[in-house]
Amino acid sequence: MIPLLLITPLILLAALGAVWKARPVHAALLLALSLSLIGGLYLMIGAEFIGLVQFMVYVGGVAILIVFSLLITRPGDEAEEVARRPRSVATGIACVVPVLGMLLYAFSKGLPEQGSEGAAPSLPIKDLGDRLFTYDLPAVLAVAVLLTAVLIGAALFARNFDKNPEPPADS
Amino acid sequence: MTPLALLLTLSALLFSLGLLAVLTRRNVILILVGIELMLNAANLNFIAFWRYGPPEAGLTGPVFVLFSIAIAAAEAAAGLAIVLMVFRHTRSTDLNRLDSLHG
Repeated sequence: MIPLLLITPLILLAALGAVWKARPVHAALLLALSLSLIGGLYLMIGAEFIGLVQFMVYVGGVAILIVFSLLITRPGDEAEEVARRPRSVATGIACVVPVLGMLLYAFSKGLPEQGSEGAAPSLPIKDLGDRLFTYDLPAVLAVAVLLTAVLIGAALFARNFDKNPEPPADS
Repeated sequence: MTPLALLLTLSALLFSLGLLAVLTRRNVILILVGIELMLNAANLNFIAFWRYGPPEAGLTGPVFVLFSIAIAAAEAAAGLAIVLMVFRHTRSTDLNRLDSLHG
């Protein structure tokens, strides 16, 4: 319980930085930190395989993809972003607070009386693989089709990107 | 506070922060950052219920998280490819300037 209490505020601080930082690269790097800490949390509570998948896919893939996308696009005007922040944040908080309140209310009312706080349930990789390729095989195939479609789509985008290069805009 | 309640509170706060990013950011890529935070909050719920919830659920939580991570990776790749295409045409990723479909 104590490690959980230590890592939880770190995750929240990193996520808050990812939401709050005006400079996009800083926000993306803080997102990577937040995702790493969530992976560490998975390792701590006994979901080692999911934690490693989190590190490989989110930290090694998605976060780095976002950083590179920021590097090859032109960032917006940070001063303009900071200037309009108070109004947009006030509107955002007005929308987010009811959602947060509903979530916390649901969690406070709907939790089981006592959870299993002892040893972590086992997560054997063999059982996970057996389940994925028997009971969940249609879902695995659907995800495979989805990933193939995304791969082909991204390749098509990249090809068009190279074929019709546009000169960079002045200024 | 039980560990389950702590993790669920963390996931609710993470989801809210992601929603706040989606609602307040103007850079399309940073909106994707918010969406990733929201997806991670959902994943955290699955793992929290698998770890601290009733034991009858078996491997359902981790299996759901694996599919969710795969779909989130596909979503990020497709989303960023679209963002790059948009950037190629408009030279900007600012949502306020992407109004060519505005009536």
